[in-house]
Amino acid sequence: MTHQEFLDQVDAYALGSLEPTEASALEQHLTAEGPHPLCEAALARAHETVATLAADLKPVAPPPRVWEGIAREIARGQEPVPRVPAQQPPSASGAPREPPRRRIPAWTYGIAAAAVLTLVVSGVQVRDARRSAAQASATAAECAKDLADARIDVLRKEDALQLLIEPGTQLVSLKPPPPGPGPTSPGTGVVLFNPRGRALFLGKSFQAQATRDYELWLIRDGKPIAAGLLPPGPDGRVFADIRPELLTGGRPAAFAVSIERKGGTDAPTQVILSGAVASP
Amino acid sequence: MTRPAEDGTVLEAVRRGDARALEELYRRHSPRLYALLLRMLRETADAEEVLQETFVDAWRRAREYAASRGSVEAWLITIARSRAIDRIRNRGARLRLVKQSEQLAPAEAPQPDPPDVHAQTRLRRALGTLPPEQRRALELAYWDGMSQSEISRETGDPLGTVKTRVRLGLQRLAELLAG
Repeated sequence: MTHQEFLDQVDAYALGSLEPTEASALEQHLTAEGPHPLCEAALARAHETVATLAADLKPVAPPPRVWEGIAREIARGQEPVPRVPAQQPPSASGAPREPPRRRIPAWTYGIAAAAVLTLVVSGVQVRDARRSAAQASATAAECAKDLADARIDVLRKEDALQLLIEPGTQLVSLKPPPPGPGPTSPGTGVVLFNPRGRALFLGKSFQAQATRDYELWLIRDGKPIAAGLLPPGPDGRVFADIRPELLTGGRPAAFAVSIERKGGTDAPTQVILSGAVASP
Repeated sequence: MTRPAEDGTVLEAVRRGDARALEELYRRHSPRLYALLLRMLRETADAEEVLQETFVDAWRRAREYAASRGSVEAWLITIARSRAIDRIRNRGARLRLVKQSEQLAPAEAPQPDPPDVHAQTRLRRALGTLPPEQRRALELAYWDGMSQSEISRETGDPLGTVKTRVRLGLQRLAELLAG
């Protein structure tokens, strides 16, 4: 399994909607291929997004018997903890020794009364505390997802820089067509293309459209080949790793971006950016 | 307060075999997990059993947790959903929701804690912007535990289309929730 294949399926994996054999292949990729930061970060983000879907549910306290069952279960694998304190040695007469009586100072009653009052006030505050805890939990989930997003962003930049410094990599700048009646591109983009089978599209200032998608194409032998949709991030940036198998059929003549109906098309209808690949 | 760093510290103690730490983790996360399991399994007894299995599993597999692959809460949700999906698939017959419009209705059960209205609003708004077919695919996968092949059979859409919808739907959701 390639890293790209992993990235294509990681969302379905996190949702639990892969077939067992497919899921095993992804798990094997994570272990057999060694840690790949982008794959791990994508998995983290997918897990966080899936976890966020549960945010719509109102928390429900489980009955105490659930925790009791857990405690019983884990106690089986632990050393038994003595529940009864060790007995004191018998008295000289052989009768069980009575526990020593302690005189309770009067001031402790005052403390006890204050403690009771504190508990009553605390009880009133419990609901507020629970509310704060629920909000904090949601904030924590958002922070974790933001961190995962930031990590992916950094890794993608590193990935692009790595490709850029590889021998033979060409920077293909995509430009809008001459002004005309068609749509204009809201953004700009480049393709980092390496003839040894790797290409990345990097775009910025793209605006997500409610009813349309941006689609990437590579042009070979005068024919457009669909290379995937380009969903913009919240900051308008687009990052797409072009599937390596699309690059095995020969050197592409150009790359292009079009704007299409939702879900994409088989052939580009409205090209908004294009750029030719330089001859070797 | 439940912060990821604190969860990590608690899980570290769980790894060392501290049962009180597991209880703390349970106190923090069981209400949301239980609500999730009630929603997925629709049976109290099943939800209780799977919740118990989830934390026993977390106790035994605490060493396998890797922070690089998500938060502790996401890890627990993954364990719980995975076990719930196994149970749903083993039932043979699917539990179906009566109406699609009820897919996002909250579970009816005693509510000890107030809901996080902010998070709910954001999620509902985000889900509302997804194309209906993407949302449907996500719901069938998330709540009914269907595989992509099963969703394809259920909806009559080609498997490739379902895969694309699941992928794009979740990615879009991630972007919307981040934005």
